[in-house]
Amino acid sequence: MPTIANPKVKPAIRPVIKPAGGTDSREELDAGYLVVCWDDPVNLMEYVTHVFQTVFGWNRAKAQKHMLQVHNEGKSVLARETLEKAEFYVHQLQKYTLHATLERDKK
Amino acid sequence: MKLLRRDGDEFEFEFAPVEKGLLFHLLGLYPAVPAAHHQLTKGRKIPSQAENQELLNEAVKSHRAENQRAVLALLNDAGRFTGGKEGARAVFQRGEVEWLLQVLNDVRVGHWIAAGSPNLQQEQKLQHDKQALRKVMLMELAGGFEMLFLGAVSGTLQPEADEP
Repeated sequence: MPTIANPKVKPAIRPVIKPAGGTDSREELDAGYLVVCWDDPVNLMEYVTHVFQTVFGWNRAKAQKHMLQVHNEGKSVLARETLEKAEFYVHQLQKYTLHATLERDKK
Repeated sequence: MKLLRRDGDEFEFEFAPVEKGLLFHLLGLYPAVPAAHHQLTKGRKIPSQAENQELLNEAVKSHRAENQRAVLALLNDAGRFTGGKEGARAVFQRGEVEWLLQVLNDVRVGHWIAAGSPNLQQEQKLQHDKQALRKVMLMELAGGFEMLFLGAVSGTLQPEADEP
């Protein structure tokens, strides 16, 4: 019987099933994926700061800095990770209904 | 709604009857965000993009089902809120407050989308659209509860003395 007593962030352990011959594992292991949070007019600034602290374990000052970057510049790069880790963070942020995506780093 | 007590990761709140009714009404509106709202990327090609998007869709679906079960469990737990006509008290653990924040923000964002994703600085444009206005009101109500729960977990909301 489930209860509402969920941990802050549940570990998302899930099998990664890839179609044969369709991927380049070197590309996926490359820490070249950016976790990006985009501005929107609906998420409260205090809420966004709290989510950044919860998902990334940042202190309040760092979380606020990124929240303000989202607010003032339209987006903030929150992390640069492998594809799998970037996907994990995007999913965590989307659980909180933030507008987050992962993007391939151009560099 | 007021914070009565903070003890480590445990929070006790008191809700006036109308506040409890509003909170339950908002929780009952979950989920409000369309499933297609969650996109993994803004369109730049990533490896196995379709498969990875599908994995995200499945994870979102599973998370929502879990949250929905928890919403129903809370709404049907008669013993969770104690007290009489003056106000109902309930104790939440930090993890539960996190869960409530996720659910309330889904309701907030979902009603903003349903209202046509308005620029909230220009709400006067909504005055002739009653349906959109109603959705914006629900959105703001959800935001109000969010701010109170955020204040409790961040420590900016101080516990209020229990009235004799």
